[in-house]
Amino acid sequence: MSEEPTVKESTAPEKARHHETIVSGIVLRLRRTTKSMGELSLKGKIALLIVAGLAIDLVADLILLALRSHRGIGVPVVATTFLVAIAISAARVLQKHLVSSGLLSRTRGRLFFVGLSGAFCGAAAALAYLLVPQEGATLPVSLTVGNVMLAALFILAFDLYPQLADRGTPGLITAAGLVIVFAITYMTGISLYIVPYDPFTLNVGPLLSPPTEHFPLGTTQLGQDMLSRTIAGGAVMLQVAVLSVAVCFSTGVTIGLIASYRGGIADRVASLIMDSIFAFPGLVLAIAIAAMLRPGVVNMALAIAVVYIPSYFRVIRSQVLSVKELPYVEAAIVMGARDRDILLRYVLPNVLPSAVVVMSINFADAVLTAAGLTFIGLGLPIDVPDWGWDLTFGRMQLQFGAWWVITFPGIMIVLLALGFTLAGEGLNEILMPKLTE
Amino acid sequence: MSDLLSIRDLIVEYRTRRGVARAVDRVSLDVEENTTLGLAGESGCGKSTLGRSIIRLVPYPGKIVEGEIVFDVGKRIEYDGQAVEPGPTDLLKLPEEAMRRLRGEQVAYIFQDPMTSLNPMMSIKDHFVEIIREHSPETTEEEATERAAEILGSLGILPERMTDYPHQFSGGMRQRVMIGLGLALKPRLLIADEPTTSLDVIVEAQILDEIAKLKEKFNLTMILITHNLGVLAQHADNIAIIYAGRLMELADTETLFENPQHPYSQALLQAVPDVRKPDKKLAWIPGAPPDLTEPLPGCMYHPRCPQATERCRTEQPMLTKSPSGGIVACHLYS
Repeated sequence: MSEEPTVKESTAPEKARHHETIVSGIVLRLRRTTKSMGELSLKGKIALLIVAGLAIDLVADLILLALRSHRGIGVPVVATTFLVAIAISAARVLQKHLVSSGLLSRTRGRLFFVGLSGAFCGAAAALAYLLVPQEGATLPVSLTVGNVMLAALFILAFDLYPQLADRGTPGLITAAGLVIVFAITYMTGISLYIVPYDPFTLNVGPLLSPPTEHFPLGTTQLGQDMLSRTIAGGAVMLQVAVLSVAVCFSTGVTIGLIASYRGGIADRVASLIMDSIFAFPGLVLAIAIAAMLRPGVVNMALAIAVVYIPSYFRVIRSQVLSVKELPYVEAAIVMGARDRDILLRYVLPNVLPSAVVVMSINFADAVLTAAGLTFIGLGLPIDVPDWGWDLTFGRMQLQFGAWWVITFPGIMIVLLALGFTLAGEGLNEILMPKLTE
Repeated sequence: MSDLLSIRDLIVEYRTRRGVARAVDRVSLDVEENTTLGLAGESGCGKSTLGRSIIRLVPYPGKIVEGEIVFDVGKRIEYDGQAVEPGPTDLLKLPEEAMRRLRGEQVAYIFQDPMTSLNPMMSIKDHFVEIIREHSPETTEEEATERAAEILGSLGILPERMTDYPHQFSGGMRQRVMIGLGLALKPRLLIADEPTTSLDVIVEAQILDEIAKLKEKFNLTMILITHNLGVLAQHADNIAIIYAGRLMELADTETLFENPQHPYSQALLQAVPDVRKPDKKLAWIPGAPPDLTEPLPGCMYHPRCPQATERCRTEQPMLTKSPSGGIVACHLYS
């Protein structure tokens, strides 16, 4: 590849292919459409315009917000996240290249990618801590969340999307859901540095003012800026969702695996306990537990986790019962495998997909339950920006015609739950194709 | 040559709701080192149960009631701080942990169904690496991979296919992989439970030839369980005919085929179709095997036996030396 390519580059097909690979876009892969823009139907053109317009609008909004942020360092923060995300994407491309050319084994390639991404994120966080010491640990944490989420979005767009699109509609649904979730998490991650007013302080503007030039989404009854609260309000909900899902995933899957593999009394006892939890209406049980524990992120997460453990247990149990009778498990026993190895290497990988599907739907449920708990007053104090709280107060103020307090947090909750549900439904069909047959 | 395995008066019972079924009834067998013993019989006569009781994995609700399975352990096996010394050991008296170490390392078992006997989530290489490192943790992954490549190579599978997953293999290749897995730890005894039943005859012949070659190479002793007498004629040194859980006749292959002693063996051989005599009407054995939950008095075969006498209906025949040189359980020879 020394002299010939220079000649070849000017030939038409080579150029076309070159062109094609460049224009695979952020959310949509524009490869096929760019080639035949003229052949595209009117509907397709309009859809493309809308999507592209929305994407450009989002980025423009992000830049505007960064410029007007009240902490003053919005632009460097957003710029850093973009830089690191691009670096991580480059690491991903490099990894694929190295693995496909045979220089690295698959496992080493993965290690290489994770190590490099970790190094980038770590460097960004350390730099932020040293350069802006007055922010303490907040800035590095925000930056890390932002970096990871934006990198996830990028990788989703250029690497995962083609794979998902091959699966047809379920793939597209999954991609859409993941984009929504990653984007909202990114926004929440760096929210403190892009909001125009401090979402924690009261009286930053007039009380209960409708949307104006300075307060584009209006203000609350306590004079908080709605735009800032809407941008920053997802933190509690996402933390609760992630924490509760982590707790109930690990507990439910472990109990389900061990109890149903052992069988006998262990299985009976576990099933009995799980069924009795299952018999309660979920939200009522969560309210009861949350009321017993005191308000707080961890306690809310625990309350929600308890409610959802049985659904994991049930799914895992039914799967384990069928997998453990399969010949390859028996073959492993015959070859002298330990119970531990059989569970971890033979049973678990074969039952995990169904647990992952429960998990993605569990996320949406957890978000809604968290909103419900805050709504009835079992959440956090009023000065913490939280969509759930704004719903509670907005409900009262809606009676006086102040529609803006309840509308925007409501939309965000719906969007987030929609994102999780789409991703969950899509994954469900991709990972368990039997269900669609 | 000494006996690698000798089974004495083994009784295995299935306790079902309908009653106790004796699937293996006082079977005694000796397997010499480096020979192949064929176990033949009708479906449900207890061949597989006998094979599985050697590795002490009789499926629920089966239970080994009494008997002895003495196996000549080839090397010191350590478990939980204790050890099994080399030499003849009664497998039924070993603790479960020692038995677990013994499976795969000393005794390998190959199942009938290759399509589902491999973990769909693991590549072929991982199967080998896992089993090799499970039994000798000090082996590195490279060494294990090398050994796997060597074994698969001798079974006709290219090393570059080792990173493939089970669904990418055909039935015959999967069965080769299963055989390779069975041999990965160089066991002394290989129990093959109808290893070729789900394969077509050409692949069956290839695989059996490969097993025979490997048997030479690895110094293996083999128990081949099948209902295909043709397979046994080619590959077994001795054949044991089992009927309703009891050993009917045991003789070396040539003698059994030339001069079967027991009326059941004779009937079985009559029932094999012969392409050289297309006009010959295929013989069958009238009736069906008895219900094992209600054992018959006397010989189990007497309702279907054309030569049955009054004695056969009341008295159970013992194994005795037969005129042809093997042993047989029939009143005709006592």
